[in-house]
Amino acid sequence: MAAGLLLATGVATAAALKLPATEMHRVDLPNGLRALIVEAHESPLIDVQVWYHVGSKNEVPGRTGFAHLFEHLMFDGTKNLGPNEFSDYIIRSGGTDNAYTTEDTTVFWETVPGNMLPVVLWLEADRMRHLDITGRVFDNERKVVQEERRQRFDNLPYGHVVETLYDHAYTVHPYRHLTIGSMEDLDSASIKDVQDFYNSYYVPNNATVVIVGDVDWHEAAAQAAKYLGPVEAGSPQGVQTIPQEPPQAAKRLIKMDLNVALPAFVEGYHMPADGTPDAYPLRLAAKILSEGESSRIYTRLVYDRQIAVQAQSTGNFTEDPNLFFVFAVLNAGITPAHGEAEVEAELTRLKTELVSETELRKAQNQILRDFIIGRQTLQTRAEELGYAAVVLKDPELVNTEPARFLAVTPEDIQRVARKYFVPENLTLVEVNPRPERAASATTRQGGAQ
Amino acid sequence: MRRQDGKGSDFPTEARRRSEARDHSSAPRRLGAEKCLGLCLAALALFLWLALPLAARDYPPDVPPPKAATIPAPVIQVLPNGLEVVAVERRTLPLITLRLVVKVGAERDPRGLEGTAALVNSLLTEGTAHRTSRQMAEAIDAAGGLVDNGAEWDSSFLSLSVLSDQADLAFDLVSDMAARPAFRPEEIERQRTQTISGLQVAHDDPVYVADTVFQELVFAGTAYSHPEDGTLQSVPRIQAADLRSFHQRYYQPANCILAVVGDITAADAFAHAARFFADWQNSGPLPEQPASTPTSSSARRVVAIDKPDAVQTEIRIGNLAVARNSPDYLALTVANEILGGPSENRLFKALRSREGLTYGASSDLVCHRRLGTWMGKTFTRTPETVKSTHIALEQMKSLRDEKISENELETAQSYLVGHLALDFETSDAVASHVLEMIQNGLPMDYWTRYAGELRDLTAEDVRRATERYLNVDHNVLVLIGNASEFKKDLKKFGSAKVIPLSALDFAAPDLRVPGEAGN
Repeated sequence: MAAGLLLATGVATAAALKLPATEMHRVDLPNGLRALIVEAHESPLIDVQVWYHVGSKNEVPGRTGFAHLFEHLMFDGTKNLGPNEFSDYIIRSGGTDNAYTTEDTTVFWETVPGNMLPVVLWLEADRMRHLDITGRVFDNERKVVQEERRQRFDNLPYGHVVETLYDHAYTVHPYRHLTIGSMEDLDSASIKDVQDFYNSYYVPNNATVVIVGDVDWHEAAAQAAKYLGPVEAGSPQGVQTIPQEPPQAAKRLIKMDLNVALPAFVEGYHMPADGTPDAYPLRLAAKILSEGESSRIYTRLVYDRQIAVQAQSTGNFTEDPNLFFVFAVLNAGITPAHGEAEVEAELTRLKTELVSETELRKAQNQILRDFIIGRQTLQTRAEELGYAAVVLKDPELVNTEPARFLAVTPEDIQRVARKYFVPENLTLVEVNPRPERAASATTRQGGAQ
Repeated sequence: MRRQDGKGSDFPTEARRRSEARDHSSAPRRLGAEKCLGLCLAALALFLWLALPLAARDYPPDVPPPKAATIPAPVIQVLPNGLEVVAVERRTLPLITLRLVVKVGAERDPRGLEGTAALVNSLLTEGTAHRTSRQMAEAIDAAGGLVDNGAEWDSSFLSLSVLSDQADLAFDLVSDMAARPAFRPEEIERQRTQTISGLQVAHDDPVYVADTVFQELVFAGTAYSHPEDGTLQSVPRIQAADLRSFHQRYYQPANCILAVVGDITAADAFAHAARFFADWQNSGPLPEQPASTPTSSSARRVVAIDKPDAVQTEIRIGNLAVARNSPDYLALTVANEILGGPSENRLFKALRSREGLTYGASSDLVCHRRLGTWMGKTFTRTPETVKSTHIALEQMKSLRDEKISENELETAQSYLVGHLALDFETSDAVASHVLEMIQNGLPMDYWTRYAGELRDLTAEDVRRATERYLNVDHNVLVLIGNASEFKKDLKKFGSAKVIPLSALDFAAPDLRVPGEAGN
């Protein structure tokens, strides 16, 4: 009966649609390196990823940004290869390679024709043990990263807002700083730091290799052992203990006057780490609040009240507890306080009224869709597996995690909303256009009509 | 990506810092049979000694050749009303995507009403004769639907992905949105406000400003010379009647293509298309697009947009290039790889790897149905603006004036040919390549012949193309940054116009708010 009702209202029955299971093969090498291999033969390609369990939260004070700077250096030469020669091999095969650094991990990946597996594993093993960085190359790469910081943050109209939020939401945990780091710390980093970081973190016993694609898994396992097996295990010296953030006691408010056209605000509520039981209802709450044009915050702020050009909620889920964001860019003349009050009304509604089964099912369908879309390319499939293995510490979660979302009840959503969306847990940044900008935005729009 | 719920935003909440594609130096420096040519013994000994550390290098293993990429043949059926339906079947994931493409975009915006195509398209999802905006949103979200829509040059699109047990609903919704948008007054005003706020935010975004100013200058005199989303002046002028008339003229089944992609058989896709789209009628012949001629210039046009609080300068340099179906397109594609594509990228090597002046440098060959552009782009800290511009121009000159090496040619070719397998990796990517063929009037075996034709190109073919289309002396140079720091040096690049960002007006012919004086 329930199913018939759902179909009649056009709601898909999420549980009825099964994601194809991912069959993975695990290989543990004597040096501590773990390989996860998945056969997928839809295309003649493979994706190979090396996940080092080190990110910006492992940086020591005064060296913010170093994990990411180091990621760049991994392309800059080894005893066997000159700067950038690594990528030449990938490019000549028609493949693509890149890397990224997060708070928790540093990931190197290549998508290439399947015949390239031995080459890619050779290349990854080579930079895992033979990195060779000169002072000139180091200085050049530091400048490149500083340009990256300018482009992604310093030169953008709202570029410092999230950085400001984190700086106030955290007091001791290294999530207080962004992965890109500060200009000052990038300036202080020296080539002496390179060897220490390399020895501590870029070792096989801190690495997970993921291979997904057009391979025979036995063959891939043999190749991984052949090329990565000889890399010597490292000793985890110099690895820092990460200070945990004490609970926040009172709401923190920061006001910024910026050279921007429109007002805005960003709220950050402390929330638990990814993979914990409360993370699942919180991710569904984010969907209910702002995914799609029928979502609650979109409907209220953008559609009904027409006070925002954009309004969104999203959890930045990581290995240690991070923040649940709600943010909006407001239309000209609307105050942040007005926007915040409208958001507050929706958060209160989550706490006082149970969401309907229909609305919950809608959010579950959206999550399921995200899982499906995340499996369209080999690169995103490998990423999902690497994330589950390294950050969530259970690779099988790629198969079992959808069920955790489907098991969430309306009561769970209400419970997490009451627990985390409370004022003493909130850090809030309000952005107002500088007075001369606020005036010109209003006249420009008014004058044009 | 997976852990970041929600779409792109104006705030960099995404904490990841993805680095760009890397430099790719051309020749692997291997020492083989070196020619001694009568060197004295001492010199030979010295050479060998110097060579030792390099000779001790290890190399990656040799591997067998790759499997050939399979290019699926397009499966197409045309409905009696002229709607072309493309089916791309892939049953591995329970997802279906419908992508409806209208073969008309912002180039048909009426003069003074720029942004009409974009506004029409944005209103497709905001209510039809059968459904209100709210009902439409509820139906899409409940099906786990994801909508993507917009107006580009030469095409407008509406894409809907749903869980695959919702195929009927998806066909119903897309046909309803395409054929019967309601254009209710309150929805028009909502979308107008959204567009205006979006344009206000974009006006402070250096990347948007640089790209838009470049486009206006390089396409001056043609239908491609305005912002696709319109301007703060034009958007308020668009009336409901303008929207209805644009929709009636151009959103006709015979002017559209529907791609059905994913977990559905081709037969089922065609049956669904016939069932849901058959009653969509054509309204009449498509109006002719008036011919236009690009404004020619006998000198480089240099425009600097002054943003006093900028810490970095965005730089764009380029000129007009060919239409997508030009016979020179492939040679230019190879030339673009060498100038700034993912494989060779001389700009990246010169600006980033050698000098540390930037995080990114590349070039884009963007070819529309009638015309295209070829543009180099980078960004750099303010004090290095002139140096970076100079280096980029030098790289363009040397590509125009000197023949490329066989090694560069071969790297670009092997990259482009090998990359075909990645280009066709997902069903969406397959569909977009088929749509590209149809929209640009390319032969239907275009992608199966592509690899062979690329391999046949010679360095001389590439030289002829760059000589003809890389117009380094009479091109367009756009810079946006703190101009007080570099404007005095701009004259070495040509006669420069400096416009304060606060006086920049995309609707004005000279890009300047009327009444603002000075230079």
